[in-house]
Amino acid sequence: MVPVTWYIALSAVLFMIGAAGVLTRRNVIVILMSIELMLNSVNINFMAFSYLLGDMTGQIFTIFTITVAAAEVAVALGILIALVRSNKTFNVDEIDALKG
Amino acid sequence: MSGPDVATFFSPGDFLAILPEMVIAGMACVILMVDLVVPRTKRWVVPALSVLSVAAAAWFSWNLAGSGVSAFSGMFVLDGYAAFFKLIFYIVAVFAVFVSIRYIKTEEIDLGEYYVLMLFSLSGMMIMASGSDLLTIYLGLELASLPVYALVGFLQKSRKSNEAAMKYVILGAFSSAILLYGISLIYGLTGTTQLAAISAALETGAVSGPLFTLAVIMLVAGFGFKVAGFPFHMWAPDAYEGAPTPITAFMAAGPKAAAFAVIMRVFLEGLFPAYDNWQMAIAAVAVGSMVVGNITAIMQTSIKRMLAFSSVGHAGYALLGLVAGSEEGIASVMFYLLVYAFMNLGIFGIIIMMRRDSQSGDQISHYAGLAKSNRLTALAMLVFLFSLAGIPPTAGFVAKFYVFMALIHKGMIGLAVVAALMSAVAAYYYIRIVMLMYMREPEKEFLLASSRGILCVLIIALAAVVALGVYPLTYKPRPARRSAVGQERNEMERWYP
Amino acid sequence: MSGHLLSSIVFLPVLGALVILFIKDARAIRWVALVTLAVDFALAIPLMRGFDVSTHGMQFVERHEWIPSWNITYYLGVDGISVLFVFLTAFLGIICVLASWKAIEKKVKEFMIALLIMQAAMLGVFSALDMFLFYLFWEAMLIPMYLIIGVWGGPNRVYSAIKFFLYTLAGSILMLVGMIALYFAAGKTFDMLVLMEHKYTFTFQIWVFMAFFVAFAVKVPMFPFHTWLPDAHVEAPTAGSIILAGVLLKMGTYGFLRFCLTMFPDASRFFSTPIVVISIVAIIYGAFLALAQKDLKKLIAYSSISHMGFITMGIFLFNKNGIEGAILQMFNHGITTSALFLCIGLIYERTHTRHIGDYGWAASRVPVYATFLFIFTLASLGFPGTNGFIGEILIAFGAYEVYKPYLILLLIGIVGGAAYMLYMYKSMAFGADSHGHGGHGHGGSHDDSHGHKVWDVDFREAIALIALVVFVFWVGFHPEDFLGYMHESVGNLINQANTSKFEGLGL
Repeated sequence: MVPVTWYIALSAVLFMIGAAGVLTRRNVIVILMSIELMLNSVNINFMAFSYLLGDMTGQIFTIFTITVAAAEVAVALGILIALVRSNKTFNVDEIDALKG
Repeated sequence: MSGPDVATFFSPGDFLAILPEMVIAGMACVILMVDLVVPRTKRWVVPALSVLSVAAAAWFSWNLAGSGVSAFSGMFVLDGYAAFFKLIFYIVAVFAVFVSIRYIKTEEIDLGEYYVLMLFSLSGMMIMASGSDLLTIYLGLELASLPVYALVGFLQKSRKSNEAAMKYVILGAFSSAILLYGISLIYGLTGTTQLAAISAALETGAVSGPLFTLAVIMLVAGFGFKVAGFPFHMWAPDAYEGAPTPITAFMAAGPKAAAFAVIMRVFLEGLFPAYDNWQMAIAAVAVGSMVVGNITAIMQTSIKRMLAFSSVGHAGYALLGLVAGSEEGIASVMFYLLVYAFMNLGIFGIIIMMRRDSQSGDQISHYAGLAKSNRLTALAMLVFLFSLAGIPPTAGFVAKFYVFMALIHKGMIGLAVVAALMSAVAAYYYIRIVMLMYMREPEKEFLLASSRGILCVLIIALAAVVALGVYPLTYKPRPARRSAVGQERNEMERWYP
Repeated sequence: MSGHLLSSIVFLPVLGALVILFIKDARAIRWVALVTLAVDFALAIPLMRGFDVSTHGMQFVERHEWIPSWNITYYLGVDGISVLFVFLTAFLGIICVLASWKAIEKKVKEFMIALLIMQAAMLGVFSALDMFLFYLFWEAMLIPMYLIIGVWGGPNRVYSAIKFFLYTLAGSILMLVGMIALYFAAGKTFDMLVLMEHKYTFTFQIWVFMAFFVAFAVKVPMFPFHTWLPDAHVEAPTAGSIILAGVLLKMGTYGFLRFCLTMFPDASRFFSTPIVVISIVAIIYGAFLALAQKDLKKLIAYSSISHMGFITMGIFLFNKNGIEGAILQMFNHGITTSALFLCIGLIYERTHTRHIGDYGWAASRVPVYATFLFIFTLASLGFPGTNGFIGEILIAFGAYEVYKPYLILLLIGIVGGAAYMLYMYKSMAFGADSHGHGGHGHGGSHDDSHGHKVWDVDFREAIALIALVVFVFWVGFHPEDFLGYMHESVGNLINQANTSKFEGLGL
C-alpha cells in the first residue's frame, strides 16, 4: 500500500510545477493549464486526506473543486477569446494596455 | 464515523435559511429570460426587476436576521454578523444598479446579462457571509468572483476592459488555487472543514508544526488576493482601471467586503486558537498595504487607478481590525466596510457622471475646476474625499478612529502610529483632487451625465457619510468573552446608533 | 437659552451658514454673516458677565449622552482660561467679516460659509470638555481653513494650502493615537476633567506628552515646526490671516495649558527647560527674520513666531506670573496681530502691493490709517500703556522667578521686536516716497506711486479698527478686567501642574 505521504508529496510537486508555470510561462493557454495543474494537486490532497481520515468531506470537496474549476476555465476562455479578437495575441507580454 | 443522516440535509428549515440567496439566484435566472422578451423601449424593466429582487431578499434577510439558525448541518449560519454584511451587499448592489443604468447605455452594453451577473455575484457574496464551513465559503467565493470576471470584461470592444478581465481571472484563479491548497492542508491536519470543529481541533494543541504554518500562510495569501492586500494587490489597479466604472465601484465595495467577512470568520472563528501563528502575517500584510497602497496612489494620474491603490490602503486599515483580534476589532472592520461602501459608491457615482459623450473623466486632471460650474457635485465629492482621508466630522474618520481604538486597546501602539502616519500621507492625494476641483480653472465646460439613479445614490451616500460621522454605529462590548464571531448569534441586537 | 448658552454660541454660526446656503445676493450674504456673528458676539457678553470668577470649576456646563458605548458625551463648558478665548474668537469673527467685505469678490457665498463653519469649529475647540468632541472640532477646522487659503488666497495659494493642511494633519493625527491611549489608561473615558485627575506612569506621560506636543507645537507654531506659517499667512486672504494669527495659533498654546500641563505634569516639567530654550530661540530667531523681511505679511508672520515664543515660554515657566502673562499675551496677540493683518489688508486693497518699499507715504496721505497703524505697532512691541506691555512684563516677572539670565535673552527679543516693528512703521509712514510727490494734500484720495487710488479709512474699516483699539487700551490700562477671569483657574492649573502624578520619582 502506498503511504499517504507519497500522495502529499506528489500533490506538492504538482502544485509547485503549476505555480512555476503560472509565474514563468508567457502563453495564456499554458498559464490556464498550469492553474488546472494546481487545482488538481489540491484534489489529490483532498482525496488522500479523505482516505486517511476515513471522512467523506474531502471527496465532496473534490467534486465541487472540479466543477468550479471547469466554470472558471469556461469564463477564462471566454474572456480570452474576446481578448484575442481585439489583441491578436496569446502572449501576456504583449497584453500591456494597462500600466501603472 | 457517524455523519448526519440524509434527512437533516433536506429539512425545510434549511431552505428557509437560504431563502434570500435563493431569491437572488432565482430572480437572476428569471431576469435572464425576461430580458429576451422585453421590447427595446422598455429596457427599464430589467434594472427595476433587479432592484426589486434585492429588496425582496433584503426583506427576507430582515426577518431572518439574528435568528441564529444554523442550516445544512452547520455549513451555513444566520448570525448577526452575516446579516450585517448582507446589509452592506444589498446596499452595494442596489447602488451599483442605480449608477449603471445610464452608463451602460452610453457605453452601448445595455444587456440584461449585466444585471444578471451582478445578481449572481451578490448571491455568492451572501453565501460567503453566511458560510461557516470552508466548503461553502469556497463556493460562495467562486460564485461571487466568476460573474465579476465577466463583468470586468463587459466592454467587449475595449482592449483595456478585456485585458483587465484576463489579468483578473488568471490571478483570481491562481489565488483560488493557493487558497484551496491551504484549505486542503487544514482539512488534512484537523480532519474537518467546519470552522467550529477546526477551532475545537486546534484548541487541543495537537495541530502545529511547519505544515500548519504553511497552511496558514497559504490562507493569508489566498485571502490577501481577494481583499487586494499587499503584496497580492497587483491585479487591483488593472482590474479597476479597465472595468466599466460601475463595476469598479461594485468590486471595490461588494466582493471586497465579502472577502473581509470570510477572512474574519475563518481566522477568528476557525483559526482563533492559532492567533499567534497568523497575527504577524496579517499585520505584515496590513502594514504593507497601507504603506504601498498609499504611497503608490500619490503617483497615479488616472483617478480609477488612484482609487484602486487607495482601496489597497483601506484594506490595510481594515485588516488592522483583524490583527487586533478582539470583538472591538471585528466591529471596527464591519463599520469600516459599511462606511467604505458609502464613500466608494459616492465617489464612483461622480466619476460615472463625468463619463459623457467624448468626456471620460478617467484622469485626475479632468476634474480641474469642477467646483466652478457644478458646485453641488464638487461639494459632494469634497465630502467623500475628506471622508476617505479620514477627516472629521465624516464617517471615514469614525471608521479609522474605531480601528485605532481596537488596536490601542490591545496595546498595539506601533501599528496605530503607522496607520496614523499613513493616513496623513493618504490625505495628500485626496486633497489634491479637492485642490484641483476648487482651485484651478476648468479647461472646458463640464457636461455631467446625471440621472435620477445616480443622484439618488449620491444623496443617500452623502447623508450616510455625514450621519455616520456624527452618530456612529457602535458596538457594545460584552464583559468577558473568549473569542470571536460564531458563538454569539444575536450580535445584531448589540448594534445600535 | 441660558442652559444652552455655550451650544448656542458654538452652533449659531452653522445656522448662519445654512441660511446663507439659500441666499443668492452677495450683499445679503455679507449682511447675514455679519449679523450672525454679531449676535454670536452678543451672546458671548452674557457669558462673560455671568461668569463666576471666584471658582476654578467649569461653568456653563452642558452634557448629553452621545455615543454611550464609547462613553463619549457631548460635553461643553468653560473655565477662566477658555472663556477668554471664546470671547476673543467671537469678537474676531466680526472683524473677519468686516475685513472681507470688499476684499472677497468672487464666490462670496462659499467664503462666508467656510468662515462661519470655521468660526463654529474654533468656538467648539475652546469649549469642548470631551476629548473626542475636542478632536472633532480640532480637525474639522482643517477643511474650511484649507479652502479659505487655497481658494481665496494669493498667487501661490495652492502650495501654501497643502502645506498648511499636511503639517497640521500630520501633527494632530498622532495626538489621536495619544488620546486613545489616554482613554484606555484612564479607564475608558474621554472626559477631560477625569483625565486630568487620573494618575499615569512616568513613561506613559512622556510618550503621550510627545504625541500631544507635536500636534500643539505645529499649531503654535514652535521653532522647528514653524515653516508652514509664513507661507500660509502670505497667501491667505486678510480674514484668513486674522483667523490664523488671532485664533488658530492660540489653540496650540491652549492645548499646552489644557492638556499637557494638567494631564502630564511630570512629563511637562521634565521637558520644561528644553521647551523654554526653544521658545527663546523662537523669540530671537523670529525677531531677526522679521527684521529681514520685505513683505509686510511675512514680517508680521515672523513676528508672530517671536511672540508665540514668549507665550510658550511663559507657559512652561510653571509659575503664576508666567502663565497668566502667557494667557493674557495670547489674548493680546490675538487682538494686536489681527489688527496688524487687518491694516495690511486694508492698504493692500488699495495698492495691491505688500512690499515694504512701496509705501512710505502713509503718514501724509492717509493720516487716520497711519495713526491706527501706529497704535498697533506700539501694542505689538509692548509699549507701556498698551496690552502688549502687560503681557510681556508678566512673562518677564515669571522668567525672573525661575532663572534670572532668561531676562537678558528676553530683552534681546523685546529689543528685536521693537526694532522690526518700528522699522516697519518708519518705512510705511515716513519712508522716502520714491517718486517724491509725497506730503501734499489733505484728505480725499490720492494716487500712490503705481497710480492706484488711495483713500483713507472708511466707515466700515474704522469700526473694526476702533473696536480693536478699544481692546488694546482696555487691556493696557485695566488688565485686571481680564486677568480677574483667570486667577482662580490658573491657580488650579499650577496646582495640578506642580503635583506629581507619579509617586516615587521626585522630578
